[in-house]
Amino acid sequence: MAANAPARAVGIGPGLRLADAKATLPDLLSEEIDRTADLVSLTALAIWMMRFSPLVALDGEDALLVETTGCDHLFGGEEGLAAEMSLSLARAGYGHRIAIAGTPGAAHALARDTGQGGAPVLPPGQERQGLAHLPMVTLRLSPEALTLLRRFGLTRIGQLYDIDRKALVQRFRSRHAADAVCLRLDQALGRCAEPFAPLRPPPEHAERLPCPEPLTSSEGISAGLGQLTEKLCAALAMAGLGAHSFTFSALRSDGGASTVTVNAARPVCTPGHVLRLFREKTGRIDPGFGIDLLLLEAGRTGPMATGSRPLSGGLAGAGFDAEAIADLADRITARLGEGSVTLAVRKARHPPDKAERQVAFAGQESEPAQPLLPGSRPIRMLGRPEQVFVIAQVPDGPPLQFIWRRRLRKAVRADGPERIAPEWWTYLPPAPGERGRLPRTRDYYLIEDSEGRRYWVFREGLYGDDRGAAPEWFVQGIFA
Amino acid sequence: MDFTTLKAKGLVRGMTALPSARAEFPFGLGQPGLHEIAEGAYGDRAAATGFLLAIIGQRLRGAWIWVRQTSIARDSGEVLDAALPGCPARLRLTVQARDAHAALWAAEEAVVSGAASLVIAEVERSDFTSSRRLTLASTRHGVPVVLILPYDCEGATAAASRWRLTSRLSAPNRHDPQAPGHPRWRAVIERCRAFPSAAGQAFDLEWNYETLSLSMVSGLAAGPPAAYPAAGEDRFRRTG
Repeated sequence: MAANAPARAVGIGPGLRLADAKATLPDLLSEEIDRTADLVSLTALAIWMMRFSPLVALDGEDALLVETTGCDHLFGGEEGLAAEMSLSLARAGYGHRIAIAGTPGAAHALARDTGQGGAPVLPPGQERQGLAHLPMVTLRLSPEALTLLRRFGLTRIGQLYDIDRKALVQRFRSRHAADAVCLRLDQALGRCAEPFAPLRPPPEHAERLPCPEPLTSSEGISAGLGQLTEKLCAALAMAGLGAHSFTFSALRSDGGASTVTVNAARPVCTPGHVLRLFREKTGRIDPGFGIDLLLLEAGRTGPMATGSRPLSGGLAGAGFDAEAIADLADRITARLGEGSVTLAVRKARHPPDKAERQVAFAGQESEPAQPLLPGSRPIRMLGRPEQVFVIAQVPDGPPLQFIWRRRLRKAVRADGPERIAPEWWTYLPPAPGERGRLPRTRDYYLIEDSEGRRYWVFREGLYGDDRGAAPEWFVQGIFA
Repeated sequence: MDFTTLKAKGLVRGMTALPSARAEFPFGLGQPGLHEIAEGAYGDRAAATGFLLAIIGQRLRGAWIWVRQTSIARDSGEVLDAALPGCPARLRLTVQARDAHAALWAAEEAVVSGAASLVIAEVERSDFTSSRRLTLASTRHGVPVVLILPYDCEGATAAASRWRLTSRLSAPNRHDPQAPGHPRWRAVIERCRAFPSAAGQAFDLEWNYETLSLSMVSGLAAGPPAAYPAAGEDRFRRTG
């Protein structure tokens, strides 16, 4: 149970049953704790706290751990940072307690110390004195360890300092950190390092632009984006890197954030290209009541393909300008969506629907259009074979007439069959006693109808191959 | 006065003269400018695609951009790379667009970027404004653009020419009389901006996919002459 300040003033707090609480105060408003919703809003708050530092982690169900090394000078020292955080959180409507210390354990302990008011800031090196008076509960121990320590009469952290270390280790030896009292003490005092797992890994290349006044106009957002892009691309170019994806976030003053991402097929570091990609998407940034901070991050960096650009595509050995093609593909993808630009990739496989696939274009080269396997293929192939109703001579005859898309077509000439058996190495026969559908051999026919159109029709299965019912016919493609 | 006369008189000097459209088949298809190929009836899209690839043929190297509307891809299928043997393009990219407006935008972007050497767009409908924009962009950047339109396209267009393709019975197959032979099409040039008198001409074409050559065939005969018995046999039997 958790209670807010007016309820606590009346005497309702954790440990009281709901019936008793309602008896104390009949007008009490109560709600069930919804941990999933809490987690969602805590994560959103953590992302919003990235305005202070890029390294934020969730600490339990109701706390955040922010790594502020190197960030406090931007706010005028650690007190200034704490005051700024407190003001922003109060404006967003969150009740909070802030503590700053040199180790995560000490910060956790200080923040949970309800006896002291204000935002305590513990300078590094003074953890021993600072934590001495704090109750043992704040040391992140399990209930069993706490009970045991209470039985020994140890209720304050300072009492642990005098106990013989070897005895403490002996008594509280455990692989779980919550039971290992010595480990927790060392972590709090800074004698032992503690790993920090941020919510989002910090980007290596990022630029931020704080706004002195909340920004609401789209021209302001575009101008800010332009500035950030110039700086970020200069930084990337200096390191000889380009990035595949750029993420632009706008952090609002009311606690929300809008993010927009663009992707590029090849590593880019030219501001003009990146801005052109963003132009389509900046409309999605919602300024709300005002934007406080603009962030631009570069993800998936890689070395730039250095080399002299040819004057025209015709002079290049490849016959086309690969960079211009990649630029074009990026622009089209930015507007039409991911996966709109594809390249055909061919494999030496017999079934025609597996022989060629369209993959998203990512700057790769294409092979020359030589067929890998023999056999004439239709110029247009349907994505899914469509069923047709056929009159044909059993067992091997070509179709004499067939109905496709509700029209009767009479076959005048036919060529075939081209028999393509399933690839036996791609499937296992079902175990005896199990019923499984094995893939069937296909016989492909090139049929010409009375109007001159030519179809590629196949029969799935042979008569009497024991792999299913009577074979069915499908049309796979159309020839020129 | 046409261009050659003007040049002969010395009134016009070409700096880098683009090859002009000649008043003969194929009337500028494959040169910079917008051309449209429409199917004659539903189901002739494969014939239209085959005709286009036969004409463009071996000439255009570089990167080809093929823009296609998703509904057309679902209806008529994708164009297979394996069916383009000897295609000179080094890179063939396919762009899928949800509607005609997005497809025409993508085609224009491809032309303007200068990276493509040929842009093919399959859209369901095209209006005068978009065809005008594509024509201007195409002639300015020197990139041929071809639109493949469905059978129900009508109306004014700013394209340099519009063809209508229908498939015909294929040629007799030398090796097997029961098998289809080389594909044959009937191409009618409906509109031609450069040579308006040529509009309405029909060409019967045969595409030899082994030698990769396009030839004209007579519109009449569809197969080899059938054998028939000699006329005199009947007379001999009667007298006997």
